Formats: sequence, structure tokens, C-alpha cells
Amino acid sequence: MAAVWPTFVRNWRVTLRAYPWTYFVGTLATGLLTVGVALLAYRAIGGGRVAASFTAATGGSDYLGYVTVGAAALTFTTRMVLWVAKAQITEYREGTLESQLLTPARRLPYLLGVTLQALTTTVVEVAVLLAAAVALGVRLSVPDPLALVAALAAATVAVLGMSVPLSAVMLAAGEAHITQNTLFTAMALLCGFTFPTGYLPDAARWLGEALPVTWALRVLRAATLPGASVDVPSALAVCLALGAAYLAVGLWILPPAERRALQRSGNA
Amino acid sequence: MSTGIVTTALCKVFPPRRTPWSWRARGTPVAAVSGLSIAIPAGQVTGLLGLNGAGKTTTIRMLSTLLRPTSGTATVDGLDVVADARAVRRRINVIAGGERMVYSRLTGRENLWYFGQLYDVPRARLRRRVGELLELVGLAAAADTPVERYSRGMRQRLVIARGLVNDPAYLLLDEPTLGLDAPIARELRLLVARLAADGVGVLLTSHYLAEVEQLCRHVHVLDGGRLVAQGSPAQLVAQTDRQHVLVVTVGGSVPAAVEAVRAVSRDTGARLDVDVDEAGRDRLTLRHRDDLAGPVVDAVVRAGGSIVTVAVTPPTLEDAILAMSRATPAGVR
Repeated sequence: MAAVWPTFVRNWRVTLRAYPWTYFVGTLATGLLTVGVALLAYRAIGGGRVAASFTAATGGSDYLGYVTVGAAALTFTTRMVLWVAKAQITEYREGTLESQLLTPARRLPYLLGVTLQALTTTVVEVAVLLAAAVALGVRLSVPDPLALVAALAAATVAVLGMSVPLSAVMLAAGEAHITQNTLFTAMALLCGFTFPTGYLPDAARWLGEALPVTWALRVLRAATLPGASVDVPSALAVCLALGAAYLAVGLWILPPAERRALQRSGNA
Repeated sequence: MSTGIVTTALCKVFPPRRTPWSWRARGTPVAAVSGLSIAIPAGQVTGLLGLNGAGKTTTIRMLSTLLRPTSGTATVDGLDVVADARAVRRRINVIAGGERMVYSRLTGRENLWYFGQLYDVPRARLRRRVGELLELVGLAAAADTPVERYSRGMRQRLVIARGLVNDPAYLLLDEPTLGLDAPIARELRLLVARLAADGVGVLLTSHYLAEVEQLCRHVHVLDGGRLVAQGSPAQLVAQTDRQHVLVVTVGGSVPAAVEAVRAVSRDTGARLDVDVDEAGRDRLTLRHRDDLAGPVVDAVVRAGGSIVTVAVTPPTLEDAILAMSRATPAGVR
């Protein structure tokens, strides 16, 4: 576990030097637009009312709160996946993957270090997004701190779990954009960020159930929205189990992917 | 337990390339290294030479656990590079030419601190070690400057310091002086010699063959992934039929002197070329395995000629490597 702290510190230093603060403004745009468009649609098209089917599917009628938590969760997920899944392909492109793999440090502590640093910046970004939503008139209840911490931990495990196999795919393919955007599109459709998964066809809904982020989102909503009909302990357990399973698969396929990447660069 | 780095029938075959989103292969498998059996002992510098594509870098990547051999074995002090990869990584390090392998956004000191932590160097020792290494490579004054502001030579010096951060028992050097200024390259050569004297086993690949001749006690020559020769630099030069080139300029035009040199040429079997230099003087060029300067000068003087210039170019390791590479049948490349 010796690599966790140095990797955390390294990424902080790199982030502070590489990105101006305006970069973080840009990262908030997607979440703010999602909330803003939902607000406009709700007021201008929906007349401030929601369908009975929405209330039945979510256990509440607070559409704006639902969308805001979803947008915050989407921002959290995409930002974390971008940091963690792209960590090694970035090393590969910058020519530092070899020097990292030459060391006896294990992959998991390295990835945990990247995840912890990503978590600190992403939590700040999400907090700013939620504050902006509240300023726009969205009402959010004050969550139970314990439930919120459990939900954040579950979401972090879910995102880490999904990011590691994705990192292996990116390295093996030598490509990041198609891979990440495919995952982001699938998550946006399947995980219930902006609408209940009950609206999806059965096959798509089951695909969504297989993603740990779907379960993490349910726990997050249960922690932040009153009346959300979620069995929190079960959702938490499924989220952690799926996250751990994805992580195990990712750690298993990562070394061959790294060798494939090095082989590609050394076979020239 | 055997000591040193030992490879036995080591092979690496790269499969055909595949496009990222398809399993369709392009091209054919490439045997980068074939049946390589060599030893790199502790406490000396061993050379690994060959033309581009000979398999040197692939060999280093296998020895450093970055690539897995297709077949055969490689051990470091008895530890297998595949089965005991993590233990092997603690004992070795790699310095490659070029400017990569370090983080541009970090300073030199931060880079060494980070890599030292990944090698589990104890914190108190690491602080001292980082300072020593920055001094050693001449970067103490730029220690707290981000690497992106370093010159090419400075970055390469930091790469060298990174390769020493874990006090490796074996150091694999892949073109380490590429891009370095002459004084820094000389410092590195002295450092490598000192490390070897202190017991570090060094494997060196370099395009600067004078560097290899100066540092290496033993050299392995690869061609097309196969070992084609090995020995000391002097033995390798002797193995190939390379020749000394002797150029003698004789004062004025003295036919007897030229005839005397022709006689030496006939007696020794040396190839003789006679022409005239810009000043109209006879210039005699002899090619032979031995240095014939003594007998030729003696013959010229005895015949009444005077010597204006004498120049002998001995065969070099470079000549030997080129000759060996040309001699390898195309089928085994």
C-alpha cells in the first residue's frame, strides 16, 4: 500500500500545475446544463407537474431534486472515470508507463492513490454543482451524514470497479475516446441518472442492473431525497459486490493489457 | 542459487498487429529474439551490441520484466523474471536514452521522491539519496524546477538519476548517453565504471562503440535476434578479418622506396595502393590484419626515401560488428 500516498501527492501536484481553475468551470458545465434544461422543461413544458408513473417509479414527486441528484451523480461518475480509467493510458502516452511498471509497486495502491486524489477534486466540483442548483431554486433536503458517507463510499467503489477494466481496455486498444464515450453513453442511458430505469425495456434495464453505478445512484438518492423507495442495505450490498467483482476482473486483465501496450510500442 | 543475470534459450516472438476494434491480424509474427543464452555477471560491464532491430531493446525489456518471453528463461540472481517479477524489479533498474520515463509536471526532486517511494526506499534514506543523486547528475541547482522546463540533456540526466534511485544490483542501460553533451556522457561512463567496480552488474547497449570498447569486459553481438558472437572487444575485433589501414607519404618521388614497399606487400600479403597526394608526393596505402608501420618505414628509409607522414587506422569494434552483421545469412535474421 506504500504507493497510495505518493501517487495521491504526485497527482495533486500535477493537477495544480497542469490545469488552471477555469478548467474546473468547464467540467461543471454538463451538470449545470442538465439541471438547467430539466428546470426549464419542468416549468415550461410540464407546468410544474410530474406524471403519476414518475411518482410510482421513484416514490416521490420531486422531479427537480431527482434530476439534480442524478446530474451530480453523473458528474461524479464521469469525472472519476476520466481520472482513474485514463490514468494508465496517460502514463503510456507520456512515456512514463515503463518507469512505473519497472518498480515493484502493485497496481491497486497506485489506482487507489489516483482515486483518492480524483475524489477530492470531484467532491468539490459536485458540491459547487449542488450549490448552483439550490441557487436556481431546486430544493434538496439535508441528508443524513452517515447515509451520505455510505453512499459516497459505495459510489467510489462502484466507479473504481468500473474504471479498472476500462483502463485495461483503453491500454489494450491504445485508444481512450471511443472507449470512454461508449461507457458514458451506456451509463447515461442505463443507470437512471435522469429518469427511472423502470422506463427502459427489460433487456436494457437488466444491463443497467449489472452496472454498480446504478446501485450506487439508488443509495445516493435514498440518502438525499426524502421518500425514495430504495432498500438501502440491499442496494449498498449489491453495489459493493458488483464494484468488487468489476475491480477483481480489472486487476486480472490489467497486466496483460499493459504488456500488450508495451509490446505495441516496442514492436516498432 | 546462480548469481548474475542468466538467460537460457530466451525467445520473444511478437504476434501480428491487430487493429484496436478487430481481431484481424496484419502482417506475420516477428521473432525479435531467438534462442538467446547469455550471462551478465555482477561487478562488470557487459555489452549487448547489434544493428537496429537486432533484439537488444527487446532483450532488455524481458530482463526488466516489462515483456514476457515467448519461451526460454531469464533469471536474476536465480529469480525468474516471470514467476518472481516483483523480487526481480527490486534488484534491477533500467536507464534508457531519450527524455521520457520521468514526469514533466513534477520537479526533478519530486520525480526522484516519487520513484523512490515506489521502490520502498525508507523515507529518511530517500531524502538523502535524492540529494546525492541530484548532485551526482549535476541537477542540484535545478532540483526544484519542473522538468518541462529542463533541456534535453537535463531530462536525460534525471532519467539516469531515476535509474539509480533504488541502488540496483543490476543496471540495464539502453543507449544511456543518447542526447547527452560530451562532458556529461563522459561523467556517465565514469559513473558506470565506478558502479561496476562497486559490484553492480551492468548491461550496456550503445551505438557509441567507443563507449562499449572503453567500458565492457565482455560483449555479446546480436543479429536478427540471435547471438552471433561474444568475447572481449579485442577478441571480437580479432574474430573478424578486419584490417589495419597504413598510409605512408614519401618525400619526393623515389621509385626505389615504392619498390621496397611493394616487396613488403608481396612478402606479407598486404594489399597495396599507390597514388600521389596534392603536393605530388607518393602516397602508399597498405591494408593488412597486422600493423605494418615498422617494416614499411624501415623499407622506405633503407631504399633512400624519407617519410613525410605515417598514419595507422586499427580495425575497430564498429568494423567488427558491421562485418558480423553482414556475415549473418539473411535467412536467420
